[in-house]
Amino acid sequence: MSAGSDVQVTTRSPGRFNVVKLLATQIELRMLLVVLVVMGVLSLISPYFLTVNNLLNVMDQSVVVGMVALGQTLVILIGGIDLSVGSLAGVTGIVLGLSFPQFGLYGGILACLAAGAFAGLVNGAIITWGRVAPFVVTLGMMSVGRSLAYVLSGANSISNLPPGLGQLSGDSLAGIPVDFYCLIAVYALCWWFLTYAKGGRTLYALGSNAEAARVAGLGIVRWGILAYVISGLMSAVAAVFLASRILSIDPIGGQGLELDAIAAVVIGGASLFGGRGSIIGTLFGVFVMVFIRNGLNLLNVSPYWQGSAIGSIIIAAVLVERLLSGARGRR
Amino acid sequence: MALLALTDIWKRFGATQALANVDFALEAGEVHALLGANGAGKSTLSRIISGHLRPDRGSILLDGVALRHAGAREAIQSGIAMVTQETSLAPDLSVLENIMLPRIAMPGRLRWRRMRAEAAALVAELGQGAGLDLDVPVRALSIGQRQLVEILKALALDSRIIIFDEPTAPLSPHESERLFEIMRRLVARGRGLIFVSHRMEEIFTVADRVTVLREGKLVQGGLPTKGRRQGELVQLMVGRDLQDIYERATPRTPPPAGATPILRVRNLCCPPLARDVSFTVHAGEILGLAGLVGAGRSETLETIFGLRRAKSGTVELAGERFAARTPREAIRAGIGLVPEDRRGQGIVPDFSVRENLLLAHLGARAGFGLGYASRNEAVRALLALLELPERRLLDANMLNFSGGMQQKIILARWLVLSPRLLLLDEPTRGVDIGTRSSIYALLRRIAAQGVACVVVSSDFEELIGLADRITVLSDGVSVTELPSELVDIEKLGMFAAPRTSAERTHTVLEELVARHGGIAYWIAVENERVFCFDRAGDDPVADPGFTAGGFPPLAETMIAHALRAPGDAPAARLIAAPDGSRPTLLVPIRGRRGHSFGIVGLTLPAAAPGFDAAGVSAGIAAALSEAQIAHEPDARLPA
Repeated sequence: MSAGSDVQVTTRSPGRFNVVKLLATQIELRMLLVVLVVMGVLSLISPYFLTVNNLLNVMDQSVVVGMVALGQTLVILIGGIDLSVGSLAGVTGIVLGLSFPQFGLYGGILACLAAGAFAGLVNGAIITWGRVAPFVVTLGMMSVGRSLAYVLSGANSISNLPPGLGQLSGDSLAGIPVDFYCLIAVYALCWWFLTYAKGGRTLYALGSNAEAARVAGLGIVRWGILAYVISGLMSAVAAVFLASRILSIDPIGGQGLELDAIAAVVIGGASLFGGRGSIIGTLFGVFVMVFIRNGLNLLNVSPYWQGSAIGSIIIAAVLVERLLSGARGRR
Repeated sequence: MALLALTDIWKRFGATQALANVDFALEAGEVHALLGANGAGKSTLSRIISGHLRPDRGSILLDGVALRHAGAREAIQSGIAMVTQETSLAPDLSVLENIMLPRIAMPGRLRWRRMRAEAAALVAELGQGAGLDLDVPVRALSIGQRQLVEILKALALDSRIIIFDEPTAPLSPHESERLFEIMRRLVARGRGLIFVSHRMEEIFTVADRVTVLREGKLVQGGLPTKGRRQGELVQLMVGRDLQDIYERATPRTPPPAGATPILRVRNLCCPPLARDVSFTVHAGEILGLAGLVGAGRSETLETIFGLRRAKSGTVELAGERFAARTPREAIRAGIGLVPEDRRGQGIVPDFSVRENLLLAHLGARAGFGLGYASRNEAVRALLALLELPERRLLDANMLNFSGGMQQKIILARWLVLSPRLLLLDEPTRGVDIGTRSSIYALLRRIAAQGVACVVVSSDFEELIGLADRITVLSDGVSVTELPSELVDIEKLGMFAAPRTSAERTHTVLEELVARHGGIAYWIAVENERVFCFDRAGDDPVADPGFTAGGFPPLAETMIAHALRAPGDAPAARLIAAPDGSRPTLLVPIRGRRGHSFGIVGLTLPAAAPGFDAAGVSAGIAAALSEAQIAHEPDARLPA
């Protein structure tokens, strides 16, 4: 009755520090490397890239995508997808703009966040209780959200926003914009949640094997819905920062945001089958996305070509990721 | 010349040498078993033969011609099919489409009508005509039924070589026997069958020769099974002597009379499969739930555990009404469930062993954090108990371990919580014999610590060896409850007979009563005990002294006189008690492979002078034969 023969683990060479193996097992390190390489290449190509102004600009741009990508990460971790984030950022932005006159700055922000969370709740409830594919539900919500944004705003942009809103992204601390601190703070919080909180581990378990998680008594329904609620909420957060940056709210705001967010998550190493991914990876994925967009602008690449470039980079990144982790991969 | 000859086969996966210098030869017209513990390389070898894998080195000769298949499709074309261990069916396609899938992949027009007719014939040949609808999607089938489709798929190819990779694992003994019959039939037509298994009794039942692998090396090639003992093969397979795997460390102690059972299930109904289930389990007791696939065993466990809602019936936990609405409630009440489908319901593949071990802890936990640290002690103690090496275990991926090890970890997941009731659904499926014995020992230890265990298994030998008592389910109804030392595999099988065959015997009994009066019954007699599987009629004067599901000592029945009548077998005549009461006719029944299927009896209220005992006996035998219960009238009976 010895257990020795039961164990069939491929032996690892112990003790030795092995860069390749470390990179192969640690997605975060791999992503950091990618970010540094992208930065290096861009700074070689364009002398303007590594200037303070440009970096501040890049930080600003990463906030909106980053906020949305955080929610998207949770949804993708449970094996779902949220296509509605861009539209929700649009409609919650309109809610923000319309509620300032009545509720003031903070009341308006609160109403905006509540609207985002509510839309996420609707998504999550229909997906979880109604057992409808996430793709379908959030695709529908994407259409509804954009439509409501036009209806509520009368297809006009809102520009007389309270001055306090601009401080969110205008102010800076030690040379770094406040909104970027916010981004890092929510990512740190999310990392802690995913690593050390029961709910975070439940999301991973749910995405990896929902049935096993259910048998083990994990609250998969509750947490499954919550992932979409957070995603909706983060869309609203993104809408607030978007409005604060351009001090104008347009019903078309946030368009295409879902693609950038999903791309960032996927470049960050998350599996679209769920159960595998990391929030730090997503953050680096966001940087990669923003850097590349920024670089293409600096290089004066025609906007018509930028879509092709970004699309190719996304596919290439995922392909490389798949080859690197292929040995451990499934399906 | 061998039909198939493999010489000097080598195969390596990463750091693991899966096969080293292995030879294998298959003759036409034989069943050749591949035997080995999990990880011995038998699946690798069979996948090489089926073209799913390519050997690193070595030659494969089919009919003396070198075979170099580029893939499974070429292997199929050269007449080699495989019934795989993990089902390779397309879940959204219908049963028919799946059976004919290899043919659909071939070029040419599809002849659906002909394929349907062929598939129907194959299904009928397997004896599953009633249970398998050709038009339902495979997704809707149970594991056992899916396996049947796999087998049908290989049969549909009419291949010269068919590899059966643990085909019986999800099958009931009844279904297995049908499969073995079909395998014999295929062999008789000159095909060569490779049978991968680690179940000894099956190998002796069906295989002509056996090749034993251990850790990727050939231990014994082409050994005829005739005249061998199980122990020899186990020793070859494991490399050491294995003691009786069901050995009890401590003698079994009956629960004190009047003690409140940990679990009492009364008339539990959860349609469609579980219809009327009742049983009790005491602390420290292992209860077996026997029954065939589809008898409602898993559904019963899942209902208790809160994965399903009961339609009616009650569950009492330690004397109090209990109805779990979610698994979480059940877990918090001290219940654990080791599910049937380890991969689908047990393992979280992206989690380390440590997190998998602590998954139920996480589910039961109320707080916001993980609380893993609070279980460190428990985890360490468990690893010692399970004989798992801590160093390599905790951060390793679950899927790197053998099925047996995975199962131990899933089991340990519940032990972390110190449950009072543990429900285990097929705990040794796909687990090799060495690890099985350690799982049995572990379950005994758990029970000895006062945990009540309910074990579901299709392996009746396992239940008899492991359980203290056995409740038998047949088509969702608990038909009897027996102490395991009183019962054997045959009798469990007969109690568990599904409605379709039970109904046929019941009809025979009803007809006997209608025609001759008295009481008719289907029984088996062993070790001075009568086991009654079924009974018809209610004339108190003819009462034989037992009811359906009963197992009284022979001496306490009212027909001991007839059962003890002189002669080896009951004769075809009425035997009355000394006082002339209860004249009884007993007709022994034999199954297709010649073994006993018990006795059909008729007890009359009073002597019947014109009773044609021989005629009635022949009539019973003929009726049962027609109902496919017995093969033919017993040779010893006057026709």
